Amino acid sequence: MTNSTPATAPTPGRATASGPAADVVVEARGLGVSYAGHEAVRGVDLTVRRGELFALLGTNGAGKTTTLEVLEGHRRPTRGTVRVLGGDPADRRTVRRRVGTMLQDSGLAPELTVRESVRLAGALSGRRDDADRLVGLVGLAARAGTRVAQLSGGERRRVDFAMAVWGTPELVFLDEPTTGLDPAARDDLWAAVATLREDGVTFVLTTHYLEEAERHADRIALMHDGTIRREGTVAELSGDRGSTLSFVPPVPLDELPLPVARTENDLVVVETTDLQGDLGTLTAWAASRGVPLDRLATGTRGLDEVFRELSQEAPRR
Amino acid sequence: MYAIAAAEIRMLFRNRTVALSALVVPVAFAAVFIVLDAYGSTGALASVVVVTIMAMGTYVTATTTLAARRQALWLKRLRGGTVTDAGVLAGLVGPVAAVTLLQLAVVLTVLAVRDAPAQAGLVVVALLATEAMFVGLALATSAVTSSGEHAQYTTLPLFFAALGASVWFQLTGVDEWIWVKRVLPGGSTAELVQGAWDGGDLSAAPALVGISLAWAVVGAVAGLRAFRWEPRH
Repeated sequence: MTNSTPATAPTPGRATASGPAADVVVEARGLGVSYAGHEAVRGVDLTVRRGELFALLGTNGAGKTTTLEVLEGHRRPTRGTVRVLGGDPADRRTVRRRVGTMLQDSGLAPELTVRESVRLAGALSGRRDDADRLVGLVGLAARAGTRVAQLSGGERRRVDFAMAVWGTPELVFLDEPTTGLDPAARDDLWAAVATLREDGVTFVLTTHYLEEAERHADRIALMHDGTIRREGTVAELSGDRGSTLSFVPPVPLDELPLPVARTENDLVVVETTDLQGDLGTLTAWAASRGVPLDRLATGTRGLDEVFRELSQEAPRR
Repeated sequence: MYAIAAAEIRMLFRNRTVALSALVVPVAFAAVFIVLDAYGSTGALASVVVVTIMAMGTYVTATTTLAARRQALWLKRLRGGTVTDAGVLAGLVGPVAAVTLLQLAVVLTVLAVRDAPAQAGLVVVALLATEAMFVGLALATSAVTSSGEHAQYTTLPLFFAALGASVWFQLTGVDEWIWVKRVLPGGSTAELVQGAWDGGDLSAAPALVGISLAWAVVGAVAGLRAFRWEPRH
């Protein structure tokens, strides 16, 4: 993908109201969704402000996809209220034309070409743009005339993204946008997101890649068992949780100089609140024993730690 | 809606299987009936041809299209924009219905050259009412059809009922079980098209049109109530 902003890029329509209320793009209060006897979402409150990238994360089955479907207008809540750009998210005439959506698993028509697919999405969006500009934005200019059936999974996700950002909407929902993309393509997508953010576009993101949320999100909400359990910036959520040391153990675990918190594949992970001290202890021990510390690395205990704690929490009834 | 219809037409011609079943097979069946010429009057032949082409071209194809688009999550995508649900459905089914009417225009013109209809206007009314009926029935059938492949089975009962009703009428006329024949999908069409083409007693024409339209409403109401825009998980 390219991340240059063409001179002909259209300006998204903007709400003309001023003041704090105009800054709120998405607002949900007491949101609840039940189906088939199961309460998937239980009393969710969330607010997304204009221009920010808000990430909605959660443990498996937490209800984040259901919540997102309500915000996108694809599902009605059982209780509570939700407003998107000041209106009903299911309002196709006024709200939807200001919103772009990249669904997690929406289909593409295999017989249509890349350009035709993007152009069709544009016709459905109510916004104006140029299909070739967007196809170029996602790095598929050479495949514009290729039928979707011949695209790889990652290429199809790129088409999804192009369709979602057609006409530079005010608000874009990205549901697992980088699933199936290789690292270079992921970087390109995030570069395109950054360019759109410079235009003032607001993003609501769900992703299983925690590092993406940590790198790009202004605020994060963590869901578990149908409710939001934590919300804040990355720094607020991670807090002072210390650091980690990881390496391939050269000796049996009980002979190591530091306690092992867990293993990850062939690595052991040591948790520490004194990184410098413990790193010195470990390296001095290895030198004295004449053993290597292959793949030695340090890290911070961030969102993944918060996730682990979250998954242990009891349901709130 | 028009963008959806244009995309559907492209997809129709690019998918060989669908193009074959929607474009070639109905006309081939009609050609067989015409060649065999087993129904005596041109009106009788026209009535069987109309029901056959519409049952295959509109009913089966529309059912298959809606089910396949749902399974592929294409309906979900179309519904995510600014087009209303009615607009999405019209965009999907409209091209199918239009192609069927075009096929019938060609075939019935061939028959009209042989023997012109006594009341061409009433034949057109019959076509439109029958088209509405099969669109409504396709909507209802697609609601209980999980995929394009599944449509091969779910459309069989109504397809054979329609075809059977039209042939039954041709074989036994208005003398036996007339209201049963009229109420079956296709039966009222057969009687109306033949009567309008060959000339004769058309006192039942309003009722015959009404029956087709009633089926259209029943199908549409039942279909919209049960219709799913995404596959059942």
